[in-house]
Amino acid sequence: MEMDYKKIGLKCGLEIHQQLDTKKLFCNCQSILRKDEPDFRIKRKLHAVVGESGKIDKAAKYQSTLNKSFIYEGYDSTCLIELDEEPPHEINQESLKIALQISILLNAKIIPITQIMRKTVIDGSNTSGFQRTVMIAYDGYIETKEGKVRIDIICLEEDSARKINEDENKTIYRLDRLGIPLIEIATAPDIKTPEQAKETALKIGEILRSCKVKRGIGTIRQDVNVSIKGSNRVEIKGFQNPTIMLKTIDNEIKRQQEIIKSKKNNSEVRKVLSDSTTEFLRPMPGEARMYPETDLPLLKISRDFINQAKKDLPKLKSEIEKDLKQKGLSQELIKMIFKQNKLEEFKSLINFTKNLNLIGKMILVFPKDIAKREKISIEKINEILNIDIFEFILKSLNKEKISENQIKHVLEKIAKGETPEKAIGFEKKDLRDIEEKIMKIIKEKQGLSEKAYMGLVMKEFKGQIDGKTAMEIIKKHVG
Amino acid sequence: MKSDTSLGDYVEIHLTQKIYEGTLLQTPDSEKGIVLLKLDTGYNIGFNKKDILEIKLIKKSKQKEETLEIKKDEEKPNIAMIMTGGTIASRYDSKTGGASALNTPEKLFNTYPELFKKINISKVEIPFVKDSGEMDSKDWQILAKTAEKLLNNSEIKGIIITHGTDSLHYTAAALSFFLKDLNKPVVLTYSQRSIDRASSDATLNLQCAVIAAISDIAEVMLVGHATTNDDFCYAIPGTKVRKMHSSKRNAFKAINAKPFAKIFPDRIEIISKHKIRKKIKTKLDNKFQEKIALIKYYPGQNPDILEYYAKKKYKGIILEVLGLGQIAANDSRNNWIPKLKEIQNKGIIICTTAQTIHGRLDPLVYSTGRALLNTGIIYLKDMLSETAFVKLGWVLAKTKDKKEIKKLMLTNFAGELNNRLEN
Repeated sequence: MEMDYKKIGLKCGLEIHQQLDTKKLFCNCQSILRKDEPDFRIKRKLHAVVGESGKIDKAAKYQSTLNKSFIYEGYDSTCLIELDEEPPHEINQESLKIALQISILLNAKIIPITQIMRKTVIDGSNTSGFQRTVMIAYDGYIETKEGKVRIDIICLEEDSARKINEDENKTIYRLDRLGIPLIEIATAPDIKTPEQAKETALKIGEILRSCKVKRGIGTIRQDVNVSIKGSNRVEIKGFQNPTIMLKTIDNEIKRQQEIIKSKKNNSEVRKVLSDSTTEFLRPMPGEARMYPETDLPLLKISRDFINQAKKDLPKLKSEIEKDLKQKGLSQELIKMIFKQNKLEEFKSLINFTKNLNLIGKMILVFPKDIAKREKISIEKINEILNIDIFEFILKSLNKEKISENQIKHVLEKIAKGETPEKAIGFEKKDLRDIEEKIMKIIKEKQGLSEKAYMGLVMKEFKGQIDGKTAMEIIKKHVG
Repeated sequence: MKSDTSLGDYVEIHLTQKIYEGTLLQTPDSEKGIVLLKLDTGYNIGFNKKDILEIKLIKKSKQKEETLEIKKDEEKPNIAMIMTGGTIASRYDSKTGGASALNTPEKLFNTYPELFKKINISKVEIPFVKDSGEMDSKDWQILAKTAEKLLNNSEIKGIIITHGTDSLHYTAAALSFFLKDLNKPVVLTYSQRSIDRASSDATLNLQCAVIAAISDIAEVMLVGHATTNDDFCYAIPGTKVRKMHSSKRNAFKAINAKPFAKIFPDRIEIISKHKIRKKIKTKLDNKFQEKIALIKYYPGQNPDILEYYAKKKYKGIILEVLGLGQIAANDSRNNWIPKLKEIQNKGIIICTTAQTIHGRLDPLVYSTGRALLNTGIIYLKDMLSETAFVKLGWVLAKTKDKKEIKKLMLTNFAGELNNRLEN
């Protein structure tokens, strides 16, 4: 049965956390998640801290009663700031700029003088016992089919450590995620239908992805606040994609309606499950206890910096698509650029050739083919075939050290561990080999046309030699 | 901007375009042109004073005094606390945005309830409130005097002194020399992470300081994190301790010595020899000659610098030297030997310590070392430079006789010399 959301008095707000694609927010470490065995573990305790009011925060108290040890897993890539053993460095300027760009795209007002805050977090997910967060902008909005949805607040904050394991006495966290810059966007409770919630999430998502943000599972976290007439607000955490919102909000409405009847009406945090239902996570935290990060000065965002952010404002996906199409890139490759998140790489390679489809094939198609053929993971291939390699290849092409048809073969050699210089050098030697073999083919099957030899040669040496070169060799040896 | 508002009040800030509501906060000293406001979301934002049309009072802040009664438990031992300032003794006051001192047992209890589990804190003395970077020998003298009084109070089992970290090892050395015939534990402790955070190292440091203060170790010792983990502390001799890291929890290390003990929140494991608590009267021996200096030698340094100290009537200098005890001598462009002879002839005492921090000086290995030794300078073996500096001031206040000074400098009073270094 269709629900009458107006009658129910549905009010939703979204809270979106998106990782930015920069180094960490308050230290100079790379924002890379690691899968290998940690190099070391440290053990810490956290203590309930008495707040300004002399009271311990309700949510914080809930956690501290557990009286746990926290184990933090670190690597050779972990620094003292992540271990809470050194004061934070100045806020990462690149992530600040990205946060400003997102704020501008969300029509929000930027705060010129703001203060980095410590938000008390006592579940151990931050070695410091707090999360650093700073309010960057407020009073934005986006348009949806069902009207304006206001953006109340935009903050830049540090991500928490990843929970690896937990038992009664201890929780194990990994420090690789701690400190990755997150932008937090909270809308006003202006959303009146599940469909509008989905549309809002998609719109904000498009804006985020037009900026330099991380892609893939776990890099965006979406929470929905839901309340209906007569019930308390409930926060549902952990939406990985907006489509599941429709059914989950409907389910939550039904659950709240039941609860209103039972009169056990609690404000709480719930977690979304894969079947669009939710489960209890914890009571709603009291007003977050926030106090200044006294190790850093006030954050002043200058007019010049804002102007620079505006000047470098990224285009939305739809605009870029149009642009690339106009320049002659195939629709299929355009799609792949966005899917594989390789726009930055693509753009930087445009400086080396006008043949956009070649760049597309080189960075999007060849690595996949090579991974498949050589049975190497695509992650590993992407790591080896980086932007420097592609630049090198295109430069070699421009200097006519290799031909277009040889690119894939050269990449394959590099992927298998050869140095780029050697991979190209070998091409020349290979060419002599190939020439010998072509001579052999001509000798074996005498009296064929040049075109026929060409067919045979290309079948034999596909990808190792281009047609033009092959024909030159054939012509040299026929007649 | 005119206003009848004060810090902590709930106010409206009127700008030309917009009105903001929130709690008025104290602005850091370096930002006097800015007004800070805590919004209802908890975030603080700032305004240039010149942009503000008006600050309108909405609600006065209520001054609420914490009234907390701490019951004294006759079964538990009594500990005295001396608080001097530093990170460990100040708390962020979110009502005003400033820092406030923890200066009563009640406030201490509020912040460190764990501290009171095993003991009563029967006395809290606050002789001064200073960052340790601001302290000097006058403060060490006051501190020693305060401690001596408490040590000779039979109801007190031990003393905990909380202190900033930066010059803590100087204070530790000073108390080691200034308190003669020590009868009870004198425990110095600190925090490297401010105490408003749940991750503060102060909690473990104080818990272990309590264990040390009721132990039988009658020494001046520094108790703090042994590693980056929150599991145990070391009790390190006051003359053999040095701050070896600018920010880590386990910044303090025992140098050329072992810690007295490894201390867990609930037990103590003795590691090395120490004096035992006994019923004697501790005496104050805190006279200090301030005209002393600590100089670090560097390659190519001109010895003329010594003339400045002579001219300013300095009585003694600790010279931190290279390696086993080297400075430029006969074959160098800047030969220090003549100048060293000259100023010692003027009555200035020159002692040397090792820049390497770890290890012992040995002037006999190289010929330049022997030449330097022959000028009359006193090689202080494995003594830390900071400890040597404090000791020189203490010794020079006792005598002017060069022979006697040398004898005293090389006499082991408080564990400052260790004739058996281990790996």
